[in-house]
Amino acid sequence: MSLLTVEHLTMRFGGLVAVDDVGFAAEEGRITALIGPNGAGKTTVFNCLTGFYKPDTGRLALRADGREHLLERLDDFRVASEAKVARTFQNIRIFPQMSVLENLMVAQHNRLMRASGYTLLGLVGAGRFRVAERAAVDRATYWLDRVGLTDRADVDAGTLPYGGQRRLEIARAMCTEPVLLCLDEPAAGLNPRESAELNALLTFIKAVHRIGILLIEHDMSVVMGISDHIVVLDHGAKISEGPPDFVRNDPAVIRAYLGEEEAEDG
Amino acid sequence: MEYFLQQLINGVTLGAVYGLIAIGYTLVYGIIGMINFAHGEVYMIGAFIAMIAFLILGPDGGGYLVLALLTVLIVSMMLTAVYGWTLERLAYRPLRGSTRLAALISAIGMSIALQNYVQLTQGARTKAIQPVIQGGIELAERDGFAVSLSYIQIVIVVVTVALMASFSLVIARTALGRAQRACEQDREMAALVGINVDRTISVTFVIGASLAAVAGTMAVFYYGVIDFFIGFLAGIKAFTAAVLGGIGSIPGAMLGGLLIGLIEAFWSGYFTTEYKDVAAFSILVLVLIFRPTGLLGRPEIEKV
Amino acid sequence: MTAGTLAERGAAFLPTALKEAGIAAGIALLLALPLVGARTVSEGSAFVVTPRIVELALGVAFVFAGRLAIASLRGGHHLPVIVGALAVAALGWRFALPSAFLGVVAIAGGLAVACIGAIGLLRARRDEIPAVARIDTAGLLRQALGWLGPALIALAIVLPFLPFADRRLMDIAILVLTYVMLGWGLNIVVGLAGLLDLGYVAFYAVGAYSYALIAREFGLDFWSCLPLAGVFAAFFGIILGFPVLRLRGDYLAIVTLGFGEMIRIILLNWYNFTGGPDGISGVPRPTFFGLPFKRAPPEGVESFHQFLGIDYASIHRTYFLYFLVLALALITNAFTLRIRRLPIGRAWEALREDEIACRSLGINPTNTKLTAFAIGAMFGGFAGSFFATRQGFISPESFTFIESAIILAIVVLGGMGSQIGVVLAALVLIGLPEFFRELHEYRMLAFGACMVLITVWRPRGLLASRDPMIRLSRRRARP
Repeated sequence: MSLLTVEHLTMRFGGLVAVDDVGFAAEEGRITALIGPNGAGKTTVFNCLTGFYKPDTGRLALRADGREHLLERLDDFRVASEAKVARTFQNIRIFPQMSVLENLMVAQHNRLMRASGYTLLGLVGAGRFRVAERAAVDRATYWLDRVGLTDRADVDAGTLPYGGQRRLEIARAMCTEPVLLCLDEPAAGLNPRESAELNALLTFIKAVHRIGILLIEHDMSVVMGISDHIVVLDHGAKISEGPPDFVRNDPAVIRAYLGEEEAEDG
Repeated sequence: MEYFLQQLINGVTLGAVYGLIAIGYTLVYGIIGMINFAHGEVYMIGAFIAMIAFLILGPDGGGYLVLALLTVLIVSMMLTAVYGWTLERLAYRPLRGSTRLAALISAIGMSIALQNYVQLTQGARTKAIQPVIQGGIELAERDGFAVSLSYIQIVIVVVTVALMASFSLVIARTALGRAQRACEQDREMAALVGINVDRTISVTFVIGASLAAVAGTMAVFYYGVIDFFIGFLAGIKAFTAAVLGGIGSIPGAMLGGLLIGLIEAFWSGYFTTEYKDVAAFSILVLVLIFRPTGLLGRPEIEKV
Repeated sequence: MTAGTLAERGAAFLPTALKEAGIAAGIALLLALPLVGARTVSEGSAFVVTPRIVELALGVAFVFAGRLAIASLRGGHHLPVIVGALAVAALGWRFALPSAFLGVVAIAGGLAVACIGAIGLLRARRDEIPAVARIDTAGLLRQALGWLGPALIALAIVLPFLPFADRRLMDIAILVLTYVMLGWGLNIVVGLAGLLDLGYVAFYAVGAYSYALIAREFGLDFWSCLPLAGVFAAFFGIILGFPVLRLRGDYLAIVTLGFGEMIRIILLNWYNFTGGPDGISGVPRPTFFGLPFKRAPPEGVESFHQFLGIDYASIHRTYFLYFLVLALALITNAFTLRIRRLPIGRAWEALREDEIACRSLGINPTNTKLTAFAIGAMFGGFAGSFFATRQGFISPESFTFIESAIILAIVVLGGMGSQIGVVLAALVLIGLPEFFRELHEYRMLAFGACMVLITVWRPRGLLASRDPMIRLSRRRARP
């Protein structure tokens, strides 16, 4: 059974069908990319997966800790805390007035809350909490090293350059120890060197941490370079699916992309 | 039945006043997305200006009562409009790029300042004028209880309906209305296509303030007493009306005003007057919890 | 910058500046004409209007001068503006203007404009000073704030033993500390969690009334009632907060305002239980852990001065109340500082920054906000029961919306989330007006105006800079 199984996902806004009967699967230790022209419904799929929208129909099953979670039934924060799905946002959402390290500590909130006895043990400074806090800082340090932000740990996150904020958001998502990482256009606005670093980071996460990665991306060098499986959406419907080589040559995909460009030119 | 009819008449009159104030909240919220907390004080200032103008003209309006009342209304609308304009220019425009909370705090500060400004310049005592428009029509009578529709109530409802109609036309048909709706949708885009956003927002405040002045003027002649504190409760009730009707929607503001007026009149008529404000606040809380978009508002989709 | 360009600029600037000042004065005239220019006075049963020409003219003249000064500063003419502003201030001080208010406007406005001018002058000259000689103002300020906290605590502890600490000063100090405590309590809700609560006074009222009622009905003393009052207030916080905390920021503000007013109206009208507008009198005064502050205690009870073997003095109770509220306030502060290092405190701040991101990290937003709301309410309840025991009498009049607005102003003006900022704001907003009693009637006007000005000037508050509560590098000591 797959890590994530999406079946018959449909989401409407008023009369507009943003996602129309979409189904796909994502596997552990693999990168699944969701691509398609603007307005194809990719981010809506993400928002349904992470509980921010409630889909009209569909079954979104995720396997975590040997249990099956039906994501469409969970509140957004439960999708993160129980089903262990982490995400980033198209328009970066960090905590700008908090330090980089604090951003990563917030991501470990639930674990630290349990260790602090829901604040009571923490108030009296119990040893158990101090141990847990040290472990949380260590985990944060580990991810800061991976994304190259160690020397910026104590500055306000809002002062990081754009690329740094994107990497911080990924590090923060990883600090929640997810089984599925959903990245919404992580390469947007990055220069070619930063794009290459992102490729390396995602490949590292996939190889070492063996979690599933679901990726929305426009940058074809990222998509084709690292994806194991690609799902193509157009106007809310799935038009193609397969390994990069197959999708690249699929006439339906070419039509969707070129057709759109022709329409724009005209 | 007669008692019911009387409460209905009172409620509709009250609702007209609330509705006019509520339009100011709804317009401003629609265009810049902030709660103009000082709007109740604008209404209070409108009432004071109307009373002072009337006192200057003399108790019988110099012999031409209708003309005098019209003058009072226009003077109050114009001078209150200057207050609305200045309010936006000083307290809100510098904060336009800032958070909602910063704007709200500035508005609360403005509300406190205006209230105390009037208290200082005009005194804390309640001011009263002699009733000007007297008399009315007796609609029905039974067991000594007469249902009366006073002339002032007729005037209030007629003026409100006339203003509402002309105002809806302005929003629907004129360039100003189009500019307002454009700013409401997307301010940056509106600026790009050549709409003077600053001016449109200023005009919105001016319109809201003059409608509040109309409400204030009518309150002076309806109740005959005002003090510097009337803006607070009236403001909150009108805001409740705007939210109840669906904030951002002008027919909604009128409908909400009408409902709040009716609820208050019937609550006072059948239960206790002490808790009539609690009734209004409870409605506000319930509407916000169960239907934050109000009766006629559009649902908001959270942008993630 | 050569003299020629300056003169050219001066020539070009004056007409525009005069025009701007003229427009501002015209608008001020329209604004002031009905409300300042006309006074309603009662004559028998009716009211008549009398003109107030001098005030109107002076007010408009001040607006003209002020606008001209701002335009001139923008044009780079610092010195003439400073001189002129000081002259206006001197005028307001030396000569009796028609109303005290205009005098205050002249003095305060003149000094403020002079200060702005001086700062502008220093900024302009700054480029001419070599970089090594420049003063790092931001760094100095940060250092000053570092020792300001301990210094203030030390001063607060020795204050009653200082020679000038008479009863009036102690009363003002107790009042200021009560507001500091309320400010710190509300700071948890507004400053840390970013929830704009306009009904905080409701919890203050719940604390005061629960103390008064429990003491009256069950005869418990202050020390047993204090925690109960806190628990009751927190309980109210949860009940009121649960349904509304998912609302968006400004809606939440209005709903909390509604709750605050509802509680006041209920206190006002539930006559059998709360005494209605008459309030509750004879609230038990505090005891020194069981020892009352009385000249002649009841039979079998030892009073404070007897226990210590000193002469009775009524100020002992004042000193005790002072230390009591100081301790309560410091506990509030210590709690806040501690909880900011814990995951819950960090989650509050993260919620303030971006709620959607918090949800994507698995933080339950409603529960997290609810804890902030309840804890803030609890400290409000503590402060309320202190208020009741200090006054000995409570009535709904003490718990109006304006109290909520004052507490909020202290938090906001101090810099949301800043503990020391709350102290400074409480000193300025509560302490200063108490010393200038004669200007008392202008207090709320100045208050509102300050709220607007400071929000416009610094939307995040005066001392809004924050240091991270946890650091990776150990180079700098923890704040």
